[in-house]
Amino acid sequence: MSSLSAAFSLEALDTNPAIRDLIFAHLRENIDRMTSSASTTTPAKHAFETRVAEVKAPKSDINALILDYLMMEGYPKAAANFSKEAKLQSQHDPSIQARQKISQAIHTGNIEVAITALNELNPEILDKDPALHFYLLRLQLVELIRGTNGGNNIIPALEFATHQLGPRAVMSPEFLKDLELTMCLLIFPHESLDPQLAALLHPDLRRQTARQVNEAILMRTTSRREAAIRHLVKMRAWAESSARSKKKDLPDHIELGLNSGDDNDINLDKNSHDPMITT
Amino acid sequence: MATPFQHGGSSGYIGDSIAPTGIPATAGQRRSSYASVVSGAAALPRPQRAGAVSHLLNPSNDSDMSSLYYNSVFAGTRSSRFNVAARAGVDSSGDENGHPWPPRLGANFPWFSRAYDLYMYGDGSSFGAGSDDGFGNPTPNSSLNFLSPSYLRGSVYLQKLEDAHKRRLLAEREGHIAKTQAGAGLSSSGNTHILQTSKLPPGSHRGVAFELVEKPLTPEDDDVTTPLPSRWNKDDKDAVLEVIGDGFEVKYTGRSSSDHEACAIRADHYMSSQCGVYYFEITILNKRKEDTTIGIGFSGRSVALQRAPGWEPESWGYHGDDGHCFASQNVGKSYGPKFGPGDTVGCLLNFRLGQALFTKNGVQLEVAFRDVAFKDPKTRLYPTVGLKKPGDHVLANFGQVPFQFDIDGYMKRQQKMISEGIKSADTSKLAPPLNETELIQQLVLQFLRHDGYVETARAFAEEIHAEKRALSLDPADAIEGINIKDDEDANNRQSIRRAILEGDIDQALEYTRTYYPSVLTDNEQVYFRLRCRKFIEMIRKEAELNLLLEKKGLSRSFRPSAGEDDEEMFEAGVGGGNGEDEMDTEGGVDMAGVSKLSQEALAYGQELRMEFRNDPRREVSKHLDEIFTLIAYSNPLRVKEVAHLLDRAGRAAVAEELNSAILMSLGKSSRAALENMYAQTCVLLEDLREGGGDGAFVTVQGIIDEIPTPTLV
Repeated sequence: MSSLSAAFSLEALDTNPAIRDLIFAHLRENIDRMTSSASTTTPAKHAFETRVAEVKAPKSDINALILDYLMMEGYPKAAANFSKEAKLQSQHDPSIQARQKISQAIHTGNIEVAITALNELNPEILDKDPALHFYLLRLQLVELIRGTNGGNNIIPALEFATHQLGPRAVMSPEFLKDLELTMCLLIFPHESLDPQLAALLHPDLRRQTARQVNEAILMRTTSRREAAIRHLVKMRAWAESSARSKKKDLPDHIELGLNSGDDNDINLDKNSHDPMITT
Repeated sequence: MATPFQHGGSSGYIGDSIAPTGIPATAGQRRSSYASVVSGAAALPRPQRAGAVSHLLNPSNDSDMSSLYYNSVFAGTRSSRFNVAARAGVDSSGDENGHPWPPRLGANFPWFSRAYDLYMYGDGSSFGAGSDDGFGNPTPNSSLNFLSPSYLRGSVYLQKLEDAHKRRLLAEREGHIAKTQAGAGLSSSGNTHILQTSKLPPGSHRGVAFELVEKPLTPEDDDVTTPLPSRWNKDDKDAVLEVIGDGFEVKYTGRSSSDHEACAIRADHYMSSQCGVYYFEITILNKRKEDTTIGIGFSGRSVALQRAPGWEPESWGYHGDDGHCFASQNVGKSYGPKFGPGDTVGCLLNFRLGQALFTKNGVQLEVAFRDVAFKDPKTRLYPTVGLKKPGDHVLANFGQVPFQFDIDGYMKRQQKMISEGIKSADTSKLAPPLNETELIQQLVLQFLRHDGYVETARAFAEEIHAEKRALSLDPADAIEGINIKDDEDANNRQSIRRAILEGDIDQALEYTRTYYPSVLTDNEQVYFRLRCRKFIEMIRKEAELNLLLEKKGLSRSFRPSAGEDDEEMFEAGVGGGNGEDEMDTEGGVDMAGVSKLSQEALAYGQELRMEFRNDPRREVSKHLDEIFTLIAYSNPLRVKEVAHLLDRAGRAAVAEELNSAILMSLGKSSRAALENMYAQTCVLLEDLREGGGDGAFVTVQGIIDEIPTPTLV
């Protein structure tokens, strides 16, 4: 736009209407661009969000979800504190301490301790659930093998597999497959396993087994398997994907608000010596 | 079925005998006021439905309102009217297993017998003693009846209808109260609702416990609150037909007409797709076996009524004379068995699958029609029957009595299909990279911190940390801990909450004024609620002390306020008066304490009244009237109609309201992520409910109901 530079002299502005028009057109264009970009940076709130804001989420429901979760998933200290702070009386569940102890034992890989504690609590649980018993023993084998990497004595692991797991594995082809897979861990170096085998050594297997045991105990004591909050989370996930597949009008991303606003201070405490996790 | 909304006369007799101002000037006057209540009550006929009404009003009975109604209605009915029913031939042993419904019938009575009318409407007495309560006669058309078919119980749609019904009743009652200037006692529900005004965002309302329902999101939407079909529409029929009985029976009364191929009638409302599944039944009452030509089905509003359902466009039907079904055309297809006198035929519309099918005598037939139009919420189809011969006579069941077909089981199978899908939902995309377990831990922890449950948050963080440490394979790994630091603000909010939950409102007010000086002035309605709660706490304290004294000083024992038997409850309520009289002489020193308390409560009540005297808001004065009614009882804890006002659950509601107000004043989100998730799920389900989709079959409330109710200590 060479004509523009010419237009910046005042005389030209007075004398040349064509150039003046050019300048105004230019200005107008700029202004338009500015306003339109301003409007895109603050998009209107999606109708969905407005509707969400109008729905009540009663505290009594939320509190019930929290207490139920703490009791069911075995956080006795938090549960006790919560019933005190929220003045809520929970259903008395005498198994909560035992459940936590068993979960902890499984998490740390002390499967023998866990099995003993479980049998003390209720010997019927393992008797009547051969699959659960097998998974626990299989995890115990994994823990034994974990220690053998690098050529330690593999005899105890072999013996355990033969005496404890062998007789059970023949009960179902699935057990047998699991056992064979686990035995492969003895052959391959643990540093370069294929994903299927590496998963056996991952702590998630402990967590998963601990959850299975916890649920089995819960079914005995409360005849509910899972905490209600898990159903809410699943329903939320299901409802969103169903609604999207039905082309309902939804924002691109439905924010839960886990990291928003007031809880930033979790991360900002620089004086603390403890490292902190976010989210 | 009958409903607790049938206005119990019990409300009238209390209100009428209390002076409109509600507050006697002195404690001495209080006695006389009380006495007048007692004598007034004694003079009036006994309220038969006290139990049912108090269920309606008791906010602590929040979780499963529909079943509560149901049971309470029955509880209320049993003592007074079940005997009548038994005399009429209904075997009253029907409730021996604790489930009063369905009652077993005597052999002489088919299910459609008039003996059941007792359950539907009751006799005049069931509408309560206060015949002057302005509600007129208990006619079948009375808005006091609420239809709640068993298979829809627990659904959001039915809950919405119930809410709408409640609001209508309340409006009626308020109109009545305004007229008579009395009866401030029983209408707790509406007031508290209206009181939640401005300032707080809509979502931050933590008010009243009974408002647990996933609220109507678009109350204006026609389809959302369209009532269920409830009876035949006498204004939407062929002239030859006559609607008899209570609107359930249709009879062909004219002579055979060659002009008409058949004569049809539609029900009063269309079947809303919000139901997910809709079902109704007809029973053929013809006396003579031959000459029965009846068709059952559904049709649009504009379909001609001179032809049987199924022959006209936008109509579908199953015909008894040939067993054929017709989908909007003259030519049908062979479908099921023929049906005639004595048979019960049902029609089921599954909006979710876009299917319709029929049942005969409780047996499900195959799918008759598949049409995507069924799924379209704009398609409005009415239950329809077509009658052709003089003497044709059918009786419809729109859910007012149990169905022959196991529709509840059908509904459960539908729900199960959907729950399977939910169970296998992938939760990993909700908040990547968190897996389900981690996400839930974060949701819980964030909620605890957000709402100021400091100690719990700390204990929970420690337990999660211990769990992580245990799972770690290498002991040398540093496990990141969560440091719940001493958050001054969270602590403050926690001490305020604790004070309220313990009933120490003064303490809570003081803390709030100290820590958050502007909150109470900026949120006047929260302040008002706190002040009212203080008054309630004073009354409560006195009432508790009275109970204690009675236990010590009186041989006569009363049932606790949770007593089940309505009549006994009522007597206990009256009997309380005698108790107090006796106590005047026996109570001695302790009585002085009680009367001091009540004087303080009175003084405080007057102060409260003065403070809000000029408040223009009607809900304020209404709420004041309501809580001042408490003074009229010697021991309100034992009077079901008002005991809910004293419930501890009210403390939690006030505490959460205040907490939200404080959070707002600090510029923080009034909601934690878990609460967002709850609300988002409700809205998503609402979307999925459109056109009778999956969302019609599951509710968030259903998840909450899994939890055994925790009680407040």
